[in-house]
Amino acid sequence: METFFQVYQIERNDIGNAGSVASFTKRELKRRNLSRGFVKTVTIGVYEAEINVVIHSYGGNVSLEINDQFVELIFRDKGPGIINIDDAMREGFSTASPYAIENGFGAGMGLPNIKAVSDEMEMTSSPEGTYLRIRFNIGEDSYES
Amino acid sequence: MKVSDIILNSHFQLLNQPSTLDTEVSQLVSCDLMSHVMANADEHDALITVLNNINTLGVASLHDFSCVIYSSNITVNTDIIKKANDLDIPIIKSSLPSAETVITLHKMGF
Repeated sequence: METFFQVYQIERNDIGNAGSVASFTKRELKRRNLSRGFVKTVTIGVYEAEINVVIHSYGGNVSLEINDQFVELIFRDKGPGIINIDDAMREGFSTASPYAIENGFGAGMGLPNIKAVSDEMEMTSSPEGTYLRIRFNIGEDSYES
Repeated sequence: MKVSDIILNSHFQLLNQPSTLDTEVSQLVSCDLMSHVMANADEHDALITVLNNINTLGVASLHDFSCVIYSSNITVNTDIIKKANDLDIPIIKSSLPSAETVITLHKMGF
C-alpha cells in the first residue's frame, strides 16, 4: 500500500483538540486493515505523546508516516524542554501544571506508557524544544486475520 | 447489556441524541485520569467520570466506548453535549457518586 505522510500542528493547551492526531492515525491504520490490537497500541502511544505537547510545551508539530513496514511519528515542540529525561521516564513523576491536572492529565504516566507500547523511542530535549521519535513495527501479525 | 438498559434506572439521564442506544457495554471503567483510561480501557467500555471536560469524549472516541457516564450529578458542559452529538457517543448523567454508580450498574447486571 502507498506511503502516508502528513504533518500536523499541535497548539499549546488546546485540550479540546487533543487526540486529533491519534484519531487521524487510527483512521488511517483501520483503512489499511491493521488489527484492532495493533491500532489500539499505536493509538495509546500517539495520544500520550500528543497530550504531552499540548500540556507541557509551547506547541509544536508532528509528522506521521505510515508504510508497509512501520508507523513512525516525530514530535517537535518549541520548549521549554525536559530538565531530566530519566526523571520524566519514571512512572508517577510529573511536572504538569494545575491546568493539566484539572483536565485529567499529569499523572506521570505519559512517557512510560509510550515506551511500553512502542518498538522504538528516541528523545532529546533542550530549553529550545523536545524531539520525540516513536516507531511501531508492522508485521504479518499486525493485520486482521 | 446495552446502553439503553442504563437509562431505565431513574438515577441515569440521557443528555444527548445519539443515533442508537443499542450498543452493548462490555465493562465499566471508573476513572478521572485519562492516561490511565487510555492505557487500560477497551472497546465498548462505559467510562464513568466526574471530569467535566471535552477530552473525555476524545478518549471515548479513540477507544470506541459505548457511552460516557458523568457521575455525582455534575452539570455537563454544553460543548461536551454538542461534541457528543457530533461524535455520536451517548452521554449519560448519573445522580450518584462514581462508586455508587458502579455499584448500581453492577446490581443491574453490568
